[in-house]
Amino acid sequence: MTTIAPDRESVLVRRPGPEELHPARAHRRRRAMELCLAAAVPVVLVLVWQLAAARGWIDDRVYPAPSTIIADGWDRAAAGELWPDVWATLERVLAGYAIGTAAGYALGLLMGSLPLVRAALEPLLDALYVVPKLALLPIFLNMFGLREGPQIALVAATVFFFVWISTMSAVIAVPSGHRDAGRVFGASSWQMFRHVLLPASLPSVLVGARIAAGVAVLVIVASEQIAASNGLGHLIFDSRALFQNDVMFVGIVCVAVLGVLFSELVRILGRLLTPWAPRDRGRGQS
Amino acid sequence: MRRRTYGTAVAAVAALLATAACSSSPYSDDAGAREGSGARTIRPVDGCGKSSWTDPADLSADRVPARCEQLAPAAQRLPENRKLTIATGTLSAEYVAPLEVALDKGEFKAEGLDVTLKVLPTPDALPLLAKGDIDALWAAPEAAVMNGVKGGFDIKWVAGNFSPDPKSKSGLWVRLTRGETASQVKMAGRTLGTMIGKGSVIAYPMQKALARHGGGLDEIQYRQLGSADVLTALRNGGVDSAWLLDPIWREVDGRTGYAFLGGQPPGEPLGGMLYGRTLLHDDVDAGVALLRAYIRTVNTYFSSDYKQDAAFVTYLAGLLKIDAKILKSTPSLRMDWEIRKNTTARLQSAYRAQGAEQGDPLPESRTVDRSLYEEAVGHIP
Repeated sequence: MTTIAPDRESVLVRRPGPEELHPARAHRRRRAMELCLAAAVPVVLVLVWQLAAARGWIDDRVYPAPSTIIADGWDRAAAGELWPDVWATLERVLAGYAIGTAAGYALGLLMGSLPLVRAALEPLLDALYVVPKLALLPIFLNMFGLREGPQIALVAATVFFFVWISTMSAVIAVPSGHRDAGRVFGASSWQMFRHVLLPASLPSVLVGARIAAGVAVLVIVASEQIAASNGLGHLIFDSRALFQNDVMFVGIVCVAVLGVLFSELVRILGRLLTPWAPRDRGRGQS
Repeated sequence: MRRRTYGTAVAAVAALLATAACSSSPYSDDAGAREGSGARTIRPVDGCGKSSWTDPADLSADRVPARCEQLAPAAQRLPENRKLTIATGTLSAEYVAPLEVALDKGEFKAEGLDVTLKVLPTPDALPLLAKGDIDALWAAPEAAVMNGVKGGFDIKWVAGNFSPDPKSKSGLWVRLTRGETASQVKMAGRTLGTMIGKGSVIAYPMQKALARHGGGLDEIQYRQLGSADVLTALRNGGVDSAWLLDPIWREVDGRTGYAFLGGQPPGEPLGGMLYGRTLLHDDVDAGVALLRAYIRTVNTYFSSDYKQDAAFVTYLAGLLKIDAKILKSTPSLRMDWEIRKNTTARLQSAYRAQGAEQGDPLPESRTVDRSLYEEAVGHIP
């Protein structure tokens, strides 16, 4: 038997990195860098925009400088002109979102649990799912008149499909072993829902709800240009028609902030409601 | 090494900040209103006599619009052919007919102009017009135009389009409540459906009509609706009143329960041709040539009640791609290339009442230039 001594020069030596040597410190540094990047990238982009407007690389009458937008937004907010539009949009989004989520969850649960109901409704809902929801606005206008009804119905219809699909697929995906265990323990229908289906499906449902939160804001802004006399969408398109570009950008920034806040709110709510689910740490946090 | 990278990034951001703070925009520098078309030689034009110009201060409803003889003013071909793009909100409205007829009959070509009509909403067209990407806009001095001029755009209203026939009832219609008559209608607090948004020129006639009926632009609630929905909403009670355009008003005309409160003032065009920097300053000859072709088209084809000629109505319907019956159902427009005095001041007053325009109103010298159409017809001021 011959023993071959390894060639010393060909041995690969891996020294422990900072992650292994000082895990807590490395994590902190990593986290700080991610936070810095998350803040720095938008800041640099805004600065480049400001510079471009100030140097005349872009026409600041068409693309107002961020400083102009901020000043205008501040003035409008201080004068109380901005808030009625923000509240109007928020009210429509919240009302439509609540209705759409409740209806989507109830039907998703029903269709996920009962194959016959799924067989009856799935083709119809699949067909409706692909219809652009904005195309339904004239129908909602006829159904609900010219007040808040059409806007709320449009948001509800949009949210419904996201929540319905995620709920139904989550319920279908609950392992049969979980249900069997419930049956073995003699769980009633309510107990099966409360202790098996709900905890197993809720994380997926909340992912759908979070996506729907963003889409709800997107849809309401588009619909407010057609049949609303207030709201951020109305503000954006009205100021565009009047060639008040600074006001238009104030509206766009407000919509972006509203969308992020609403989506984050749903995410935080989801984390509180499903502590057993894998942590979704949010943007920029690995 | 890492610290150096961070340091470089921080320095770059600081430099950006400093540069941004110290710079100024070249767009705003050249944005001020320039001189008008300047001192140009105006010669009398054959076929365009005294009747080819009316006093802009004459606001009488029965004023006869300025007219030259047919085929006048004669074409004066430019030394070199010139490509021009005119933006318009639609190609199927009757008020666009003079441009489409001029194009079809070769009136622009006769001037050495290769004209393209491009459908573009006014807010989209404004920056392009100011930059010179398009040469003219067939629209109206809407609030967006006024705001653009206030922002530094060099745009002027250089020719009118039409005023309605006195028999036309395109305008503000109201659903009468029980016991109400047209003369008693009180408009304050009522809803108004319109397919035209805030800041449109109809704000001005709307303001006049509302003022006669105890209302104001700030005392009504607007509902902006699609063209098909305005009439439906008025009929089913979704709105109390509506601004009905041609030929939709025919649907309620003569029916009980509806009253016409007023429309665009007769004898006062509220729209027409708007020029940007290119035709106002860089190539005034082409600007005059374009208006000459337009004026000649009006004199030749739209001089009087053009809808009396069934063959011409059929031709127009084909050109505009609309039903000849619909076209025939409304009175002829009174095509009018002139601009009345202080129309833009009256428009701006209505825009401010609507909240569509802020600040001091623009003087007429910054919004209107009559010199180009006056040169086209040989009128020496």
